[in-house]
Amino acid sequence: MGDFPNALRSAWLPRNPKVRGFLLDITGVLYESGGEGGKVIPGSVEAIQRIRNSGVPVKFLSNETQTSRIGIVKKLRKHGFDLCVDDIITPCPAVVAALNERQLRPYLVVHPDALPEFDEISTNEPNCVVIADAAHHLSYENLNTAFRVLMNSEEKILFTLGKGKFYQEDGELTLDVGPFATGLEYACGVTAEVIGKPSESYFLEGAKRLGMRPEEVVMIGDDIESDVGGAMKLGMTGILVRTGKYRPTNENHQVKPDAVVDNLHAAIDQFLE
Amino acid sequence: MAKKRLCALIDLSGTLHVDDAAIAGAQEALRRLRSKISCVKFVTNTTKESKRLLHSRLTKMGFDIAVDEIYTSLSAARNLLDQRKSNPLLLVDDFAMEEFHGFPTNEEKDTVVVGLAPEKFSYENLNEAFRLVHAGASLIAVHKARYYKRNDGLALGPGPFVAALEYATGSKAYVVGKPEKSFFLSCVEGMGFQPHDCVMIGDDVRDDVLGAQKAGMTGILVKTGKYLPGDETKFEFSPNFVAADFTDAVEMICNDFVSPKA
Repeated sequence: MGDFPNALRSAWLPRNPKVRGFLLDITGVLYESGGEGGKVIPGSVEAIQRIRNSGVPVKFLSNETQTSRIGIVKKLRKHGFDLCVDDIITPCPAVVAALNERQLRPYLVVHPDALPEFDEISTNEPNCVVIADAAHHLSYENLNTAFRVLMNSEEKILFTLGKGKFYQEDGELTLDVGPFATGLEYACGVTAEVIGKPSESYFLEGAKRLGMRPEEVVMIGDDIESDVGGAMKLGMTGILVRTGKYRPTNENHQVKPDAVVDNLHAAIDQFLE
Repeated sequence: MAKKRLCALIDLSGTLHVDDAAIAGAQEALRRLRSKISCVKFVTNTTKESKRLLHSRLTKMGFDIAVDEIYTSLSAARNLLDQRKSNPLLLVDDFAMEEFHGFPTNEEKDTVVVGLAPEKFSYENLNEAFRLVHAGASLIAVHKARYYKRNDGLALGPGPFVAALEYATGSKAYVVGKPEKSFFLSCVEGMGFQPHDCVMIGDDVRDDVLGAQKAGMTGILVKTGKYLPGDETKFEFSPNFVAADFTDAVEMICNDFVSPKA
């Protein structure tokens, strides 16, 4: 299917002769999050350009829920990245589809900037909870309301958009949604349904959007568990970059990436001639 | 007649009183118990009230209790901090802060203590706690209750926030309150009692009774407070004794655990 496999040249190729496309994490791989849109990671704009020029398919598999997809695109374009809304996979549309299908009305613990993604969903008399990285909106009062909705629901259904532990923002580690979802699980005695990385179905959605089988895909991310571990479990090639939330101790983690490289530019360098 | 060498550990809420009302006959039963055995302690998982506040509430209800006889999960946390010479970040209620006077405020924190403090569980404070524990500070939980009852309904307890910090950091919290074995043992520490010299009376089968029994003490479950029919058989092992109320439990102790009805 297509000629682009010929464009792939890498040290990993002998082990992964089928690699045909890329899934890239956004935050911590393309840019470091922080005030005023954050900072571009040097070389990453050029890396995306090289992928585009090579014709190798690429999609962006993100757990970003602090803003809508269009918000992400605007931010990334400002940084000089060439991409559009259709290139980006985020958990919000996936959970909206699940809510529609199961006719659920959520109490939303999400960032106000992400609310447009939920426009079509009714939130009257909620009978489930959707929790996301809502940052300062992960307050006691909001979590307590979520807790009460769950305790008052016949079936306690909790969706968490990703289950990351933390990420880096303005040079500091910051709590992600995972710990708060875990707190609600503990309080109510439920297991959350994860929509986003590292859930299997989310990576499969990424592969589907590339039109490939998991073993044909390279996932590049800065989260050893959520990006690399999740992808490798499905048979994808998992590459860890030393940017974003990366810490040297990650290299002693039980998850052993197929490769650890300095940044996205270095990763692409090894794949594309 | 010489007093029996025995230490009774008595739960407060649900055992001696419910809200601001004493359980019928409990004050008189406590007096009788004091005349028969050598030591009583009052044990509770409070995370909001200092010993002083608890003491004044109980005194108002007519209980004859000394401040020093009260041992709370906050006391246990304070003991542990002193033992370890820790310098803590305290996510505890303002009313409880008086149990934690005397720690340096400007030095680097090496411990995070989580109590029940809804107004302190902000995203900022939890991030500060997370960064400390992630960098190697130890995590102490006053207790790990999932939720508690307040005027407007159920509300999240400290447990979920402890669980959140554990998940984020991969560390395990050291829990100091009931039903931890260490709570019951530290309550009588230095007083010369062995666990088999101690009897625990409470209305919570798991946190009071089975917790104390795991520490080697005798447990008596009272059918007041939060007791629900069937509690006796809900867990993997049962209370040593079940009493109708505190008065009945005192009767059992005074009769060397031979029930007058038997």
